[in-house]
Amino acid sequence: MFFKIAVRNIFAYRKRSIITVLLLACTTALLVFATAYMDGSHARLIQSSVEIYPGYVQITHPGFRDNPSLENLIFDAAQVSASLKDFPGIAVFAPRFESYVLFSSAEKAVGGMFTGIEPEKEMKISRLAASLKQGSYLTSADNAMVYMGSELARRLKVGVGDQLAFVGTGADYSFAADTLTVKGIFQTGLFDFDSRASFVAKPYFDRMMAAKNYATHFIVQPERPVEAAALAVAIGRRLGPEYEAAGWQQTMAGLVQAMRVDSIFGYITLAIIFMVIFFVVMIYTLLVVYARVREIGILRAVGTGPGQIFAMLLLESVLLGLVSVLLGGLIGGVLAWYFHIHPIVFSGMEEQFKQYGLALTAMPTDFAPLVIMRDMAIMFVLSVSATLYPIFKVNRFRPIEAIHHV
Amino acid sequence: MFRTALRIAWASLARRSSRSVLVVVMISMSLWGLLFMEGIYDGMTEQMISNAIRSDSGQLSLFAAGYREDPGLHRLIRRDGEIVALLDGDRRVKSYVRRLRQDGLAATAHYSRNVMIYGVDLAAEKRHGRLDSYLLEGEYAFGAKKRGVLIGARLAEKLKVKIGRKLIVSAQNSEHEVAAVALTITGIVRTNNMGLDESAVFIDMDRARELFMTPAGASQISVILQTEKDIPAVQAMLRHHFGILQTLRWDELYPALMQSRVMMKGFNLVMSLLIFGVAGLGIFGVMLVSVLERLREFGIMLAIGTSFAQVRGIIFTESFILGFTGFVAGSLLGGGTLLYFYHHGLDLTIFSEGLEEFGIDVITHAVIRAQYFITAFIAVMLATFVSVLLPLRLLKKSNPIEAINKV
Repeated sequence: MFFKIAVRNIFAYRKRSIITVLLLACTTALLVFATAYMDGSHARLIQSSVEIYPGYVQITHPGFRDNPSLENLIFDAAQVSASLKDFPGIAVFAPRFESYVLFSSAEKAVGGMFTGIEPEKEMKISRLAASLKQGSYLTSADNAMVYMGSELARRLKVGVGDQLAFVGTGADYSFAADTLTVKGIFQTGLFDFDSRASFVAKPYFDRMMAAKNYATHFIVQPERPVEAAALAVAIGRRLGPEYEAAGWQQTMAGLVQAMRVDSIFGYITLAIIFMVIFFVVMIYTLLVVYARVREIGILRAVGTGPGQIFAMLLLESVLLGLVSVLLGGLIGGVLAWYFHIHPIVFSGMEEQFKQYGLALTAMPTDFAPLVIMRDMAIMFVLSVSATLYPIFKVNRFRPIEAIHHV
Repeated sequence: MFRTALRIAWASLARRSSRSVLVVVMISMSLWGLLFMEGIYDGMTEQMISNAIRSDSGQLSLFAAGYREDPGLHRLIRRDGEIVALLDGDRRVKSYVRRLRQDGLAATAHYSRNVMIYGVDLAAEKRHGRLDSYLLEGEYAFGAKKRGVLIGARLAEKLKVKIGRKLIVSAQNSEHEVAAVALTITGIVRTNNMGLDESAVFIDMDRARELFMTPAGASQISVILQTEKDIPAVQAMLRHHFGILQTLRWDELYPALMQSRVMMKGFNLVMSLLIFGVAGLGIFGVMLVSVLERLREFGIMLAIGTSFAQVRGIIFTESFILGFTGFVAGSLLGGGTLLYFYHHGLDLTIFSEGLEEFGIDVITHAVIRAQYFITAFIAVMLATFVSVLLPLRLLKKSNPIEAINKV
C-alpha cells in the first residue's frame, strides 16, 4: 500500500518529481562520466609512460634503486636469465645496462643516457623500435651503431649516418670512449626521454664498457600487464634476496601518486557541485512535504503512525532516487562506453602534455560496470539522505498542529 | 515604500524560516566551495608561474639570435654591457641577472647524468628571483674558493649525492674541447621548475667562464619588472634597442603555463555558471512556492489598491535578501578560508611525490582576487533575479478576485 501511495504522490507533485529526477540524473551521469574519464585517462597515461621505456616489472640488485652505483649492478645476468626462463606469466624479458656519457659531435658536446640493450627482445618490451623516425632500428650484430632520441640528435646536430664520439666510465671504472655512427633516430613524444636517451646493441656495449654478463636491471613484460605487481612478487621469491623485483607501481610511484592527486582534485570539484545539488534536493523535498503538512496531519489523526508516515515519505524519495540514478547511470555509462571506443582527442594541448612528460593527446574513458554501479550507489545514498531532514522535520508536527498548518 | 517592502519581505521569509535558512545555507556553502576551489587552484597555477619566472625566465628574457633553436656558447649576447646599462636606468625594471649556460655531464664516482650547467652570480640571483629561498639542504654559497656547486633536488636524488660530495662537471668549451672541473656540492635546491630540478647545476660565474673559456658575454639575461603590466612596453623597448636579440616574455618561454592560466580562468567561469545555475534552481523553487502559497495575500493587497509594481518589489526584495545574505555569509566563510590558506598555505606534503611530478609546491598558498567576489555577486544576483521571473509571471496572470475567494 505504501508503494501505491508513494507512486501516487510522485505523480501528484509532478513538477517537483521531474526537477528532482533531472537534477539527480544529470549529477549521476556527470559523476559516472567524470570517474570514467579520470580513471581512463590516468590508466592511459600510466600505460603509455610504462610501455615507452620503463617496463612493467624491473629486476635490480637490492640496493640499486636507492643507490644506482656500479657496486649495485647485477653481476651475473646469465643466472638471472636462467631463473626467469620458463617462469609462468612472463611473456619476454631482457637485460639492460644504463650509463651516462658525454657525447661529442663535430660542433657540440651533450651529456646523455647510453644504454646497452638486446634489440630483438626490446622490440617486444618497449616502444623503442616502434618509435623509429629516421634510419633503422638496431640489431644485436650492430657494432658502434647508435639509436638515439630525436631531441638529442638535434642538440648534437647529427643525422643518420653521421659520426659522434662518446666519453664515459666503464663498469670497472675504466675510461671508455669510442666513435659511433648514428643508425637510427626515434621519437617517443616524451620530450625529456627523447632529449637524453641513446641505445646500442648490448654485445658492443659490453665490450666497450667492460660490462660482459653485467646489467643494471632486467625488464620483464608480463603476459597479463594487470598482474604486474603479483608477478613481481613471484619473481622476487624465485630470485631470492640477492635481487629485487618491483612492479611499475613501485618504480613509477611518483606518477601513480600524481594521478591520485589529480583524481582527488577532480573529486573535490565534483563534491562542490554535489553539495549544491544536495541542498537543492533537500529544499525541493522540504517544499513538497510542507505543502502536504495538512494531509499528513489528517493521516496521523486517523491513526497512521509516525513510522508509517516516515516510511511512506522515505519510499517516495527512494523511488525518485532509484529512477534518477538508473537514468543517470545509463546516460553516464553510454557516454563512458562511447568515449572508451572513440577516445577524446585534445588537439592543441600537446604543449601542456609535453610539460608533464606525456606523449599522447587522445584519452579513452574507462568503461567499468562495477565502478559505474558504485557511483550510482553513492548518488542514490546522497539523494535519499538529502530528503531525511525534511521528512524528520515534518514528522515532528503533532496531528492537530499539522491540520491547522497554513 | 521601500522600507514597507523590506519589512513585508523580511516577515514572509521569517515565517518560513526553515526553507529561508536552507536557501541561505545553500548559497553560502556553494560560494564557500567555489571560492576555496578557485583560490587554491589559481594558487597552484600562479605558484608554478612564479617558480618559472623566479628561477629561470624572469618576466622577460634576452637571448642571442637563434639561441633558443640552437643553444651553445657560439650564440652569446655580446653586448650585455649595453643592455645592463639600459636596464639599470629604467625604473620599471626591478632586477635582472646574467647567466651562462652550457649542456654537460655531471658525474660522481658511481654515477653520471646529463645536466645543464649555469654560471651564475648567487648574490644577484638572490636579489632577482630569491633563489636562496629554494634551498633544500646545505648552504647558499659556492664557498671561499668558489669550488662549490648547487644542484637541482631531482638531479641530486638521481645521482644519489649529498652535501659535501664531489661532483665532476664536464662540458664542451668554446674551443670545442671537453673540459672538466671537480666541485663540491654545497647546496641542493628545489625550485619546482621541473627542468631545473632535473638537470640544473649552478656554478660560480667566474668558474663557468674559466670552464667554458668564455671571458665575456651571457647566454641569457633574465629581467623582472616592478609590475606585470609593464611587460609589453619593456619588451617593445628592448626589441627596439636590441632588435637582433630574442626578447621573450615568460609566457613565450613557458607556453604551457600560460595555457594553464587561461584554462583555469575558463574552468572557474564554467564552475561558477554551473554552481549558481543549480543554486538558482533552489532559489526558484522556494520563490515559486512562496508566491503561489501567498496568491490570496497578494490578491487582497492588489484589491485594496497596492500596485503590481509594489508587489513585484516585495517579491524581488525577498529574493534579494536571500541571495545577498547567502552571498555575505559565503563570502565571509570563503574569504576567511582563503585568507587562512593565503597566510599558512595548504599543506599537501602527503602527496609530495605526486605534486612534484606536476611541478607543484607541496604547500599551496591560496590566491584571493576581488574578481572572485565580483563574479560571485553578479552570479548570485542574476540567479535571484531570474528565479523570480516565472513566479511573477504566474502572479500577473492570476486573477486577484479568484485568488481571494480561493480556500
